[in-house]
Amino acid sequence: MRAPTLRGRGVRRRGPQRAWFARWGALQPDLLIVVLLAAAVSACQGPGTNAQEGWTPPRTPDGQPDLQGIWTNYTATPFEVPDASDNPRLYAGDPDGRGRGTGPSSFLNDVTDRKLDKGRSLVVDPPNGRVPIMAWAEEHRTARLLSIQDHYANHTPWERCITRGVPGGIFPAGYGSGYQILQGPGYVAILYEMIHEARIIPTDGRPHVGSSIRLWNGDSRGRWEGDTLVVDITNYNDKGNIATNAAAQRVRAIPQSEGLHVVERFTRVDENTINYEVTIEDPKVFTAPWRVAIPLKREPDHKIFEYACHEGNLAIPNTLSAGRARDKAR
Amino acid sequence: MQNWLKGALIALASSAITVAVMQTMRAPASDGAAAAVVPRMADGRPDLNGIWQAIGTAHWNLQDHTARPGPVLELGAAFAVPAGQAVVEGNEIPYQEWAAAKQKENFENWVTRDPEVKCYLPGLPRATYMPYPFQIVYSPGNDVLMAYEYASASRVIKMGPAEEPPVDSWMGQSTGRWEGDTLVVESTGFNDQTWFDRAGNFHSEALRVVERFTPVHADLIDYRATIEDPKVFTRPWTIQVPIYRRRDANAQLLEFKCVEFVEELMYGHLVKPTGKEKPFAPARLRWP
Repeated sequence: MRAPTLRGRGVRRRGPQRAWFARWGALQPDLLIVVLLAAAVSACQGPGTNAQEGWTPPRTPDGQPDLQGIWTNYTATPFEVPDASDNPRLYAGDPDGRGRGTGPSSFLNDVTDRKLDKGRSLVVDPPNGRVPIMAWAEEHRTARLLSIQDHYANHTPWERCITRGVPGGIFPAGYGSGYQILQGPGYVAILYEMIHEARIIPTDGRPHVGSSIRLWNGDSRGRWEGDTLVVDITNYNDKGNIATNAAAQRVRAIPQSEGLHVVERFTRVDENTINYEVTIEDPKVFTAPWRVAIPLKREPDHKIFEYACHEGNLAIPNTLSAGRARDKAR
Repeated sequence: MQNWLKGALIALASSAITVAVMQTMRAPASDGAAAAVVPRMADGRPDLNGIWQAIGTAHWNLQDHTARPGPVLELGAAFAVPAGQAVVEGNEIPYQEWAAAKQKENFENWVTRDPEVKCYLPGLPRATYMPYPFQIVYSPGNDVLMAYEYASASRVIKMGPAEEPPVDSWMGQSTGRWEGDTLVVESTGFNDQTWFDRAGNFHSEALRVVERFTPVHADLIDYRATIEDPKVFTRPWTIQVPIYRRRDANAQLLEFKCVEFVEELMYGHLVKPTGKEKPFAPARLRWP
């Protein structure tokens, strides 16, 4: 049995997992078939909610399932299933291909040696893998992205260095992708490397804050359903964006309303994987709720660096001053 | 009675009272409601989990300071500077001569120089005594998270030996260990951009901060921070600031995402004018 000590950093080998499976496969073929069938059945019940057969997460000293560690979300899976109507350059803020936008369109991991998973899409519901966005919200997004040279408020909260949002902050960004989970009695804390966001989620059943308190990242309340951490988030303000990363493509810079309601599910299915799922409902912005599934991988050697975004923000002043120079030249 | 005897009796009485007062501050209250004993984690160490906040005026000035008018005339008494006594032991910050002159300049040019005005990360130890709550979250054997409401600043204290930081940062790199009931945190790898307070007290990138968090009882931490910076000071110096547990019902950190509050200040002059802007009312700056 592996020891339950879980340090946030430190080298861990991935060997024991494969060795266990190989031993069972070689010596117990009948049992292997049973295990595979059981796994297939549980897979049909929906992704991510069932731990690998025979594996339960260790416990923290106060009895919570232990999710602690440093996790990353690098992937080559596109956010949505691509469509001919998509306009990736526009979504990156560069509609006429002159490099006016901020941030690369690529979220692929070409700068590291990671081997990336590639699935159909991170959006798993609706079944066609496309987010059901209302037309007004897409028009709003487009108008903003075409005017980023005019006003700082036309940029996403990420470029403004305010926040990447919740759940937007866990959508893959290509770098700065560390998420450190730390737990204390009655709380689960998630430190997002980008933009040094420390979400602290109480699990003691207290009610949400009052409805006149509005927050960029909403108000989180957690509870345990078996070994799954379920987080209910309300009290959003209407200034944020549901996604800010270039990899979200069409969904980037879509606004959030005060009616946004988000439910996240974190299930640790083996030593090195947390299956993360989030259901997003905002009746003013989307015609139906939609769901995203992103596996988080344990990477204890991923160093979380300080992301002092605002302190070094050149994107906003440079974009705006370029716009004024352009206006002057006309 | 002879003078020397009178003097000796007064001295004896004074020291007895001083010792009694010190004992009262250290021990749980014994009159009426007793302060709760320090809760413990499974490993026997004090449980510092929870929401904490300093009170007082260390964030204005670490040294003795008299009340004075604030920077904006129109804000009147609502934003004037309160008085406070030094949290620095000996009320002296041992600057090198060149640095003492720079601190004076910082003090006089607070509005344009204090990184807090621009919502920049506060650094250490300033983050601890900003007038906003912070929360400590950890389990035995794991890193300790300190999350500050101000500007969503945070730091993770890696429990273990001090490590060479790979790069400079605003909040530095913190490592920690327990010495009895005291959490000792060493931090290095700072840049030179942060201040210690609103009085212009500053440092270089050679800064090293050693903090000691010692619980006095369940709701009070005796916090001391020793500051070392051979490029700026002639010797290390120590501050002491009591930290109180927030006992409000359902206390929680809310957001103070102040970037939004400073965008107009920092970028307003670059925005495309539409002719429909609401003009600002005039305000008179008293400082400098």
